[in-house]
Amino acid sequence: MSSSWSRSLQFRLAIRLALVYLIATLIALAVIAYKAFDVAAALNDRELRLRAGDLARSVIVDDGGAPRLAMSSKLTADYASPAGRDVFAIRTAEGHVLAAHPKSFGDRAATWPLASDEPSWFQLENESAGADDFLGLNIAVPSVAGPVSISVAQAGGQSVFVESVVTDFLLDAAWIAPLTFIVTLGAGVLVIRSGLAPMREASRIATRIGPTSTDIRLPRENLPKEIEPLVTAMNSALDRLDQGFALQRRFTANAAHELRTPLAILTAALDSMPPGEDVAKLRDDAARMNRLVEQLLRVARLDAIALKVSDTVDLNAAAASVVAAMAPLAVASRRPLALIEAEGSVEVKGNRHAIEDALRNLIENALAHSPEQAEISVRVDRSGSLIVSDQGPGVAVEDHERIFERFWRGSGAKATGAGLGLAIVREIMKAHGGRVSVGNNPGGGAVFSLVFAGAP
Amino acid sequence: MRLLVVEDEVRIAELVRRGLEAAGFVVDGLRFCADAREALATTAYDAIILDLGLPDGDGMGLLSGLGSLDSRPPVLVLTARDAVEDRVLGLDAGADDYLVKPFAMTELIARTKALLRRPGGALGIVLKAGNITFDSVGRDVRVADTSLALPRREAAILEQLMRRLGRVAPKVVLEDKLYGIDDELESNAIPVHVHHLRRKLLDAGATAEIHTVRGVGYLLTEAKP
Repeated sequence: MSSSWSRSLQFRLAIRLALVYLIATLIALAVIAYKAFDVAAALNDRELRLRAGDLARSVIVDDGGAPRLAMSSKLTADYASPAGRDVFAIRTAEGHVLAAHPKSFGDRAATWPLASDEPSWFQLENESAGADDFLGLNIAVPSVAGPVSISVAQAGGQSVFVESVVTDFLLDAAWIAPLTFIVTLGAGVLVIRSGLAPMREASRIATRIGPTSTDIRLPRENLPKEIEPLVTAMNSALDRLDQGFALQRRFTANAAHELRTPLAILTAALDSMPPGEDVAKLRDDAARMNRLVEQLLRVARLDAIALKVSDTVDLNAAAASVVAAMAPLAVASRRPLALIEAEGSVEVKGNRHAIEDALRNLIENALAHSPEQAEISVRVDRSGSLIVSDQGPGVAVEDHERIFERFWRGSGAKATGAGLGLAIVREIMKAHGGRVSVGNNPGGGAVFSLVFAGAP
Repeated sequence: MRLLVVEDEVRIAELVRRGLEAAGFVVDGLRFCADAREALATTAYDAIILDLGLPDGDGMGLLSGLGSLDSRPPVLVLTARDAVEDRVLGLDAGADDYLVKPFAMTELIARTKALLRRPGGALGIVLKAGNITFDSVGRDVRVADTSLALPRREAAILEQLMRRLGRVAPKVVLEDKLYGIDDELESNAIPVHVHHLRRKLLDAGATAEIHTVRGVGYLLTEAKP
């Protein structure tokens, strides 16, 4: 099962498509995540700059001419909240620390070169245990007291707000991405399926081509260009096959006529001659030739032409027809025939003429091997089989398979047969999807069974 | 009785004529459809034996043409073509029986007689089997010229068996012919009647006997001389 799965074109295309989608999705997710963090960083930078600006604006010159930081109540409140979260240091153009929060940071910052108009970034370890590192900005900002070098930093580098925005965004992306992946993959598979539909249709039609329906050809409309040469070649092959069958049918039909007419003349001539021992022998010879020709032609036809086995055949009726037709022959040779019909109707799919032929052959076989006065019975079984039993010598176990071969003649058989009767029966049953088998009666005699498809 | 044989193979035609004449028939033999049409228009034949593969037109055409005649005689077709379709076509076109070449002359004669034994046929009014004669009009049965009294049902069975001399009369056909729609039919009625009939024929020294084909029906055969 797994091997036939993996050879499906649809499956292969779908797998490749899934892989491509998966890789594309992962790349997209990676890009998005990178970009998100980028934006977060940018937002963070922006915020730091704003703070630097705020701080610079809070620098005033006091009455003595010395610069001093006078934070608004709002700013004071901002910086008062959780200790260790935000730090800043403001230095004058001379490097003198104007203000710092906490003071230890100011000492630190004092050791750094003064900032310029171009921003520069720094990273500090946070002394508070368990807190994030500081990410900070150095920039020179003009103020009332002249340009001041401001160093401002936030723990973690991100405000909680930005952090939550980015996190929410990434979480959404995390479940939208697989969903999109599944939906587009599903759509992709459907598109592949519908694209392959003409090919599936062609395959379906191709499966209907069989020996009994040789006129079907594969349709060429709507097929992908790539498949067209294949289909054209197949249709041509079917044409040649058809021609071959037609030739064989004509041949066997002609052969039948050509062979039968001289035989008919010979038989009639012998029949009209006055009776005598020699004439009787010649008649037997002619009868044997007739029989052989009939059987050969029947086998040739079975080989050349597929039997149409599409009718519904009532086994009871077919058996009754054959037994009635053969009864005069049986009575004349003093071997009584009997029919045991099945209760209710027993129907099988097949060819009535061929089924009757097969049964006729079995009965002829039984007549040839049965002793006089011993009944030959034909039984229709409800399971869908025909059973012919005789009270003759039976068939040796080692011969059970060989008797159905062509030209097989057992040691006890009369010399009138060609050995084709049982072979024809087997061919007919094969064409019906059934089988013929032989067994021995416990009380002596052979039992031949024609078992049709569907019977246990 | 007069038969028309339409067959173009000279040898076969010759042999068929000889065989039928030996069996007591008067035979007109023709080779072409056109001649056959003419002959049918002017002569009353009891039966026609027709080869389907005639040179100047298919025998099938002649067959279908026959349908238009009143009191159309029964037709036995001969052919070397025995594909099932041809067989069915022949019977559908109006043939009463079908025989494939090569055939035994005895078979041809037996089948021709069977056709003639139909009700109203040349052999169908007074039926014969062995030394039994049955006048189907007068309902009179004789065995070797001695009258045999039979109850109505047994006589009816004998009639059917004699019409089908040499062929099996299925039990259902006998039931059909003997019992009307309203009659009660016991399942064992026919076998009982046949048993009695058989006894009577045996006692009367008939040279035809009734065989039972178990599960199918009954068969009347003439005892071999």
